[in-house]
Amino acid sequence: MSHEPIPLRIRRMSQVISTDDIIPGRYKHMFTDTSELAKHVFENLLPGFAATIRTGDAIHCTDTFGIGSSREQAVSSLMAAGVKAVFAPRFGRIFFRNAWNLGLIAIEIPAMPGGDMDVVKLYLAEGRLSGPLGEASFAPPPQAMLDMLQQGGLLAMVQKRLVGRTRETAHP
Amino acid sequence: MTIVEAIIAAHAGRGDVRAGELVTAKVDRVYLQDGNSPTIRQLFKTYGFDSVFDPDRVAIFFDHSVIAPDLHIANRLKEAQEFAERLGVRVFRAGAGISHVVALEIGWFEPGTIVIGSDSHTCTGGATQCLALGMGASDAAAAMVTGETWLRVPDTLWLQVVGKPNRFTTAKDVVLHVLAKFKQERFLYKSVEWAGDWVEQLSLDGAATVANLGVELGAKATFLPPGPGRPEGMRPVAMPDSDDPRRIKVDISDLPPMVALPNSPSKGVPIDQCRGQRIDYVFVGSCTNSRLEDIAEVARVLDSASVHPKVYCLVSPGSQSVYLQALERGYIETLTRAGAIVTPPGCSACLGTQGSIPASGDRVLSTMNRNFLGRMGNAQAQIFLASPIVAAHAAVRGEIPRLSELA
Repeated sequence: MSHEPIPLRIRRMSQVISTDDIIPGRYKHMFTDTSELAKHVFENLLPGFAATIRTGDAIHCTDTFGIGSSREQAVSSLMAAGVKAVFAPRFGRIFFRNAWNLGLIAIEIPAMPGGDMDVVKLYLAEGRLSGPLGEASFAPPPQAMLDMLQQGGLLAMVQKRLVGRTRETAHP
Repeated sequence: MTIVEAIIAAHAGRGDVRAGELVTAKVDRVYLQDGNSPTIRQLFKTYGFDSVFDPDRVAIFFDHSVIAPDLHIANRLKEAQEFAERLGVRVFRAGAGISHVVALEIGWFEPGTIVIGSDSHTCTGGATQCLALGMGASDAAAAMVTGETWLRVPDTLWLQVVGKPNRFTTAKDVVLHVLAKFKQERFLYKSVEWAGDWVEQLSLDGAATVANLGVELGAKATFLPPGPGRPEGMRPVAMPDSDDPRRIKVDISDLPPMVALPNSPSKGVPIDQCRGQRIDYVFVGSCTNSRLEDIAEVARVLDSASVHPKVYCLVSPGSQSVYLQALERGYIETLTRAGAIVTPPGCSACLGTQGSIPASGDRVLSTMNRNFLGRMGNAQAQIFLASPIVAAHAAVRGEIPRLSELA
């Protein structure tokens, strides 16, 4: 894993966020194209917010983030909108899995070293953030999660494994 | 070992596992629903997957949009149908019912097995001590292809229920009470084992409601103890000592029915705090409360009363089997004569992927599991959650009833 810090602009939210808040149900049944979905993120809760997201933004939620449905589109639509990471004290468990499976960094952290629109630097493998308010630390993600991120996500890993198996069968 | 540890260890080929460990476990069954299968089809295409680990142990259910409400969804449903046919997996067509309701009926939630569903309410399988896990599209795709998944072994909490609630208080009300009292943070990522006389005496329909709401608690899994109508092979719940902090005692003595206020299932209050609140739309259905017992309760109330002229009342049986039994017992006729609209089995109005979508300003009382803002397809509607009994009385009165008005 690279030890280069990742710069992130913080977008702060201060309430419990459900996956319905991130992307309303009907859109995920209408579209499989995530760029279509990206236009509708937070549409009910924060109208107009989607248009202000830029690549390299990170969401900092001060309450539980991503409770509710299993919709992976809650992750893929945030990623398509340009969000690179989400920080919260707690996550809905399915959202948390989906995030790492797809390569969205999700970190459990009680407080951040920067406020809304501040830029912070993330040292992922070290479990450290630095920003205008100082430093903050978190439990570094397990190696298995970092490996998944580096290899391009869960399905890329499955794909590699299957290719390996086919080769073994072809050339015992 | 706790129930969740025993199930995971057996599926990871290990003697034991400990909370916090990351393990790879074999899965017994995987099912998808129509809302996510078009995305999963895309993932199969992108990654070049073309088969599943065992087509007899993989199913696709068509339940979220039984009656396609628009062109986009109609086309996605067709893609899902083609995908199912190409893989040769089991197909439960539109009209068969809600995946979680049907899965329980056909024995897909065998005690001690691991089932993955591409829908958060897969946790319903905890009613029969199946580790039934709702997951996203990539997780479901990976499990379909490999027959395995990655799991973090969760900590276990025990919910010991004592006391006897009010006679109109149902499984739904007890979970709304637990959520309001202890808050979601307490249960996040945890495996929750329910214990006590009340939960042991629940019917299978009631047990399914309790397990179904596990995801609203934030839990990874919930397990109910053996009880009437449950399959063989369930283990008794073994609780730690009474002073152990992992054991939570819940006294439900005289607990009244509960109503969850907009926009969260954790905003439950005793029914009398909502008395007289106007209701425009009543929905009885969803994987939480659409089983025969639920439909029977509503039919009992509507047998001697009619739906209020200003109320739109929708009743959606959870499965074809529930629908046919309700027909046979005369419930469907009672509901129809009383002025309710009975829809084909499926998820129906629960999440805005089919309708009927509430109008702006509508106040909805629903038996479903979550009332997040915009859940039914309109963020300008207010959604209250309650049991089928409370819903039936609200349909008759056009307002949330008082406890003393229930019968």
